[in-house]
Amino acid sequence: MEGFLSGLKAIIDALGATVLLPIIIFIIAAVMGAKPGRAFRAAVTIGIAFIGINLVIGLMWGSLTEVGQAIVSNLGIQRDVMDMGWPSAAAIAFGSPVGLWVIPIAILVNIVFLALRLTKTVNIDVWNYWHFAFLGSLVLAATNNLAYGLIAAAIAAALALFLGDWTAKAVQSFYGTPGISIPHLTSAPGVPFAIVTNWIVDRIPGLKDVEADPETIRKNWGVMGEPVILGLIIGIVLGILAFYNAGDATTVITKVLKTGMNLAAVMLLLPRMVQILMEGLIPVSEAAREFMQKRAAGREIYIGLDSAILVGHPAAISSSLLLVPIAILLSIILPGNRVILFADLAVIPFVVALFAPLMRGNIVRMVIAGTLELAVGFYIATGLADFFTATARSANFAIPENAVRITSIADGFLWPGFLFTKLAEWLNVGGLVVLVVLLGVAMFFYLKNQEAWEVAAGAPASK
Amino acid sequence: MPQAKRILVACGTAIATSTVVAKAIEDALRERGIEVITRQCKASEVASMVEGMDLVVTTTPVPTNLGVPVIQTLAFLTGIGKEAVIEQIVKALGTK
Repeated sequence: MEGFLSGLKAIIDALGATVLLPIIIFIIAAVMGAKPGRAFRAAVTIGIAFIGINLVIGLMWGSLTEVGQAIVSNLGIQRDVMDMGWPSAAAIAFGSPVGLWVIPIAILVNIVFLALRLTKTVNIDVWNYWHFAFLGSLVLAATNNLAYGLIAAAIAAALALFLGDWTAKAVQSFYGTPGISIPHLTSAPGVPFAIVTNWIVDRIPGLKDVEADPETIRKNWGVMGEPVILGLIIGIVLGILAFYNAGDATTVITKVLKTGMNLAAVMLLLPRMVQILMEGLIPVSEAAREFMQKRAAGREIYIGLDSAILVGHPAAISSSLLLVPIAILLSIILPGNRVILFADLAVIPFVVALFAPLMRGNIVRMVIAGTLELAVGFYIATGLADFFTATARSANFAIPENAVRITSIADGFLWPGFLFTKLAEWLNVGGLVVLVVLLGVAMFFYLKNQEAWEVAAGAPASK
Repeated sequence: MPQAKRILVACGTAIATSTVVAKAIEDALRERGIEVITRQCKASEVASMVEGMDLVVTTTPVPTNLGVPVIQTLAFLTGIGKEAVIEQIVKALGTK
């Protein structure tokens, strides 16, 4: 088994995601009943997407490395971990050795859980299986053992089902989405932060009654929600910090504006490339949906979807607009932090989306909880940067000379990544056992006292 | 030949669910002989991208005072009630 896996890993390393992932996607789609022609076209599309993403990541990594090194030598602050954004994280995760197998693994976990009645969620959001691959590949980077990585991905898939079930009632009543759950590992891990924040704020006189109007915020801060403009502004600011002493005025202005344009370009191009990847996954995701729905027929089920369906809500948009400048400020003032934020400033709505039901859309509270989660996140991301960067390497992404290390808010800032990676690093297979036990205990208490748990996550209490 | 209708498809990322919806709309309307052009955007960009569009289809809440019809639906993602939404889109576009 060990020999087989290491042999397999050698082949994977040689071929790379651009060749291997299309082959595997074709096989998965065909096995689950997609038409061969369509599956083939989808598979080729995915390979193309990887080539495109690689180009854009190369551009971004190059620009940010230059900027990061200049800032370190100029200002003497250690900020050498660059936020490359979740589109990079997703591509890296799917392109990693774990990512190749994550789709069948997650479907298998889902079907087993449905059969054992451990979940109501049918997670048809195949796209977001990248989170499982991401956690699995961090574990692979920490243990250098592909089998552990694959098991970790399976545990992550189970964790998502549990969090999806737990928060489903809250989501359904607040967002008005009957029959839907959100087994999404960027949003769901924030719920504990929301519970703690809410509990504390409820006990602070004055603060507990403060509210803010989402419409005013959206009008005044709307530009923070437009990635291209945000990329340009941040690029120019980083450019100034990095190159203000790079030479005469012309050199400085050219370098600053170029950095701004490069980073604005990344904000538009990276999502476009990832869109191609998504397009290639559609046949698989349709086939998976039918495959699983057939096996869950005749039961009360939740359909697991992306939190992308929630984040248009005014509470989510407005609180994350406010969190953009807060996050930037945190990145500067937090001692020991080494992360510079960039691409994932656009992903903050996903981090806060599941706070809303519990906080009844109270933006002040959502901002406080978001600030807490992000503040902790900087340290998690700083601690995980080596593993994150190693994972990018294992997915054969183009890494510039003397590159800085990388991270992303989704999911490099979140506690599941920390928990999975550190447990596996310290205890190896024992760490995986601990994860299974922790999840098992949480699920046991949840299934025993479902309603109390659901109310704690923000579901309305029945009389 | 009549000019193709333009549909703005919105979701939280302009990547994930909106891609599924945009492709599904293109396929379904092409089957009915209706040519459409879709563009994808984030929910926060709808207001600035809506100009020149005939219809907004979204998977997440967006402002409704945009001057064009807005259809919010999860049917293309879950597969439930998809036909009814396609009818709704055809009607909103005003094509026979």
